Amino acid sequence: MKALILDGDLAGQTTTALMRTCLVEILNQMGWQVQPLVLHAEKVAYCLGCFECWIKTPGLCRIDDEGRAVAAAVIHSDLVIYLTPITFGGYSSELKKAIDRIIGLVSPFFAKIDGEVHHQARYDHYPRMLGVGILPQPDPTQAAIFAKLIERNAINLHAPAYATLVVDETQARHVMQPQLQILIEQVTEKVMVY
Amino acid sequence: MTTEKSALLLIGSAKPAGHSTSEALGNYLLAQLEKAGFTPTTYHVHRALRTPARSQELLTAVDQSDLLILAFPLYVDSLPYLVINALELIAAHRQAQRRPTPTRFVALANCGFPEADQNETALAICREFARQSGLAWAGGLALGQGGAISGRPLAAVGGMARHVMCALDLTADALALGEPVPAAAVTLMAKPMMPAFFYTLMGNLGWHLQARTQGAFGHLRAQPLTDALEV
Repeated sequence: MKALILDGDLAGQTTTALMRTCLVEILNQMGWQVQPLVLHAEKVAYCLGCFECWIKTPGLCRIDDEGRAVAAAVIHSDLVIYLTPITFGGYSSELKKAIDRIIGLVSPFFAKIDGEVHHQARYDHYPRMLGVGILPQPDPTQAAIFAKLIERNAINLHAPAYATLVVDETQARHVMQPQLQILIEQVTEKVMVY
Repeated sequence: MTTEKSALLLIGSAKPAGHSTSEALGNYLLAQLEKAGFTPTTYHVHRALRTPARSQELLTAVDQSDLLILAFPLYVDSLPYLVINALELIAAHRQAQRRPTPTRFVALANCGFPEADQNETALAICREFARQSGLAWAGGLALGQGGAISGRPLAAVGGMARHVMCALDLTADALALGEPVPAAAVTLMAKPMMPAFFYTLMGNLGWHLQARTQGAFGHLRAQPLTDALEV
């Protein structure tokens, strides 16, 4: 089974490096094939809001760069981990740039899901989602916004399961590692690992 | 009436000037503020971030404004990349100042879903940005059914946007008095322009029509990445 880590650390920063290493180790131990992507090192242009990925070249962004490859990697994964320094409660700009480019993975057509309108699925299979946010120090307000954002994204991106972990930079590795392992087990429950 | 005040509108859509609902909403509010004595300035975020010099110009403009208005479209439950990038720059710039200017901040979010409250998380992010940047949070307005406006000036949209204009009128009056966005304006702005079922019906039809003009009619459910490239 394939796991993709979309690492939204900003260029010149190492906020997520330890967590990324930790995630790769845990997932490898659990038998996953892991692909970590440090987004600031990839050539990803920003979404132009043109909707051509819906109405001109359905499912494919007009911009031919690594953004297309990120979308392909997402849809071919069983688990996508959104790893980010929490920025005003949300994603860093680097992670958001990549996420904005994957809207072609859903259809433009509307459908009601649990009483609310969302875009229909384009594909039969979507990855589970794990949001891992890092804060400089504990901040319940930002942690709550981040958890809500992951929940909303899971609905709109048709994730069959999702979970969120918010840690602060002062937390030691031996503290966060068991938390991560439990969350990954929960979010990937019923996904067979061969 | 407030005089000698400056209002800076930051348009967060990546679309060309004159084509976004964010710009339509922001322009209307800015025009009402101008009538109330504010000196208006407008920046498009995609132009403002194009070079370091332009980014610096934006930061200076924020420092010099009494009121910062951010008008943006909802992208995947949050603000678009360009806007987050701009907010990161503004926050870092203001955090480096011993006494940042007491600028007030108001956010106008719009989405293509019928429900205005799908903008809630994005507005929470705006509020947190204000807190971290030493800006005085004046409140946020959320609009659903943005596709019904589709970038047209509000006056050209007609009767269905009357309550949207009314919400912005109330907001301009309150901001001119130094007050936050009134609850009545929030409620009015969130009011649907048409029944949700009709909006989604027209929206779904609209995708087909746009696809026809682009030569993609009948292919909107394509799955091009099923067997495609990987990173």
